[in-house]
Amino acid sequence: MAEDVVAPLAGKVLSVAVGVGDRVEEDDEVLVLEAMKMETVVYAPCDGEVTVIKVKEGDQVEEDDPLATIA
Amino acid sequence: MRPYFETMDGFGKALKPGRVKRAAASADDLRAVEAGIVEAVTTVEEAGFPTEKINKRGWMTVYQRLEYLVDVGTWHPLHTLYNPLENEEGTTNVVDGLGQIEGRWAVVIGFDNKVMAGAWLPGQSENILRVTDLARRLNIPLVWLVNCSGAKLPEQEKFYADRRGAGTPFFRHAELEQAGIPVLAGIYGTNPAGGGYQSISPTILLAHKDANMAVGGVGIVSGMAPKGGFDAAMVEELIAKTREFTARPPGDVATHHDTTGFFTRVYEEETGVLDGLKEYMRAMPAYGPEFFQAAEPKAPAFPVEDLYHLLPANQKEVYDFDEVLARLVDGSERLEFRPAYGPEVFTGVCKIDGRLVGCIGNRQGYLGKGYPEYADYPGMGGKLYRQGLIKLNEFVTLCGRDRLPIVWFQDTSGIDVGELAEKAEVLGLGQALIYSIQQTDVPMMLVVLRKGTAAAHYVMGGPTANRHNAFTLGTPATEIEVMHGETAAVATYARRAAKEHTAGRPLDPVIDKMNELVDRYQETSRPVYCARHGFVDEIVKLPDLRRYLQAFTGAAYQNPTSICPRHHMLLPRVIRG
Repeated sequence: MAEDVVAPLAGKVLSVAVGVGDRVEEDDEVLVLEAMKMETVVYAPCDGEVTVIKVKEGDQVEEDDPLATIA
Repeated sequence: MRPYFETMDGFGKALKPGRVKRAAASADDLRAVEAGIVEAVTTVEEAGFPTEKINKRGWMTVYQRLEYLVDVGTWHPLHTLYNPLENEEGTTNVVDGLGQIEGRWAVVIGFDNKVMAGAWLPGQSENILRVTDLARRLNIPLVWLVNCSGAKLPEQEKFYADRRGAGTPFFRHAELEQAGIPVLAGIYGTNPAGGGYQSISPTILLAHKDANMAVGGVGIVSGMAPKGGFDAAMVEELIAKTREFTARPPGDVATHHDTTGFFTRVYEEETGVLDGLKEYMRAMPAYGPEFFQAAEPKAPAFPVEDLYHLLPANQKEVYDFDEVLARLVDGSERLEFRPAYGPEVFTGVCKIDGRLVGCIGNRQGYLGKGYPEYADYPGMGGKLYRQGLIKLNEFVTLCGRDRLPIVWFQDTSGIDVGELAEKAEVLGLGQALIYSIQQTDVPMMLVVLRKGTAAAHYVMGGPTANRHNAFTLGTPATEIEVMHGETAAVATYARRAAKEHTAGRPLDPVIDKMNELVDRYQETSRPVYCARHGFVDEIVKLPDLRRYLQAFTGAAYQNPTSICPRHHMLLPRVIRG
């Protein structure tokens, strides 16, 4: 079952650690968001393969925006 | 009260491989800082003559005396790197810490007899004041290993006089004694002038057979009257007098044991003095563990080594404070106070070796929609907002009422700023927290996990703002400064940059100054600097944090000046409802 990785808060995408097709385990780093001078690491919510990445470095995202999908 | 404390609410979760992988570089960075600290500590320990040379003279070094005196595995050094006036000797010349002697906690301090025979050096009196304050705060004995040659005369202007100068410790000894806190002294070597008062001011004086103590030493007794300066003839006369002077140093054991009786006992062997101190320590008042243990001691449910992967070296990276705390407290259990209110701070009751403590820490990261409730901007952990400050005031007050020692964990960038924050009364609430702390009268310790910044560093149990702080620890990630260096550079140079720009002048000189300021902030806020200048009392390796929590809690409950029966406590009932 596919699971979306969503933005926990509004911010700028500082880095993306995975690519489409990568296998990830739960709690692997997916990307880092920068907001209010702090860096928030977004971790994979489950094991699986990255099927979609919707953002790139430098993008501005809003809270709850889907960032990637793991299936 | 067993149902409250025997098994409290479990928290924390095991580290997952992804987290370990991501934090690998950060863990290496933290360990590298720790290795640098070990190196700095070794330099301090090796200051002065080598151990072999001291041993050849028939003496033990202060470190050997400490090793003999303190129970194995209980030594918790403090102020090891403290050298605020940057003495060329690399030390204030006293070695101190918390340790158990015969199963009882004491604050122990000794002169480093490898360095100028244990002379007074600049910064030493401040070091001693921290130690007397510590004994007072924890209400435990102070044990001295006196071996003090008196003032380093060429630098006397840096420490002899002044309100907190070298004479103050003697008054502090009197103050401890008035408060019922005994000061024991094991006395070795030649202790003239300042060394004499170091020897006489404690409560019980145990001397080695070759020790002496005196108002003035041979150097003064054989001195000449001032004649307005020196010339060659006078120096030759001085040399002749010095060679002829054969008098024994004043104040030896024949005088101060046999005649005045100031020395309670005299021992043939150096170790005999230490055995005497142990004997007196066995006679000290101390409650057994059964008095104040609310439950059987338990190790945390997760390994303390996990801390390397939970506390990021990168100051900007968000982490989960609760996971850090779960590696430090008994059974990874807690009773959390007001979890739904003031989410930027954790407040709750935990156990250390079965003894109850109040724990407080800054949570990190985004605090959720609509918080703080008074603002139109998002709240981030590390900052303090109105609710968090109110919660801290309430929790501290209840801990005071229930006589619970408090452990603070700081990683704070400050109190919220701006007009909305002012209207939300954060200025007054921060100061209210200082007042709340002052009226508790319970011992506190502080761990600056990472950032200690702005007024929040003061109000969250910081030593600058209260008398309750027994000691403050730093970690390899500690950074203490009024604000981040880049923020300071903007505050200092933004107007000037604008002026230069308007005038059409090059901006490079301003940029250089801004970067210089950032570099200086970096250099003066990091762990070794913090320890050297007393911003913290010791930098400890992450896995040692629990040991220090155990020492603090054990010492705080050894002989408390005031107690609250567990069944009279209010805080656990307020938490459970």
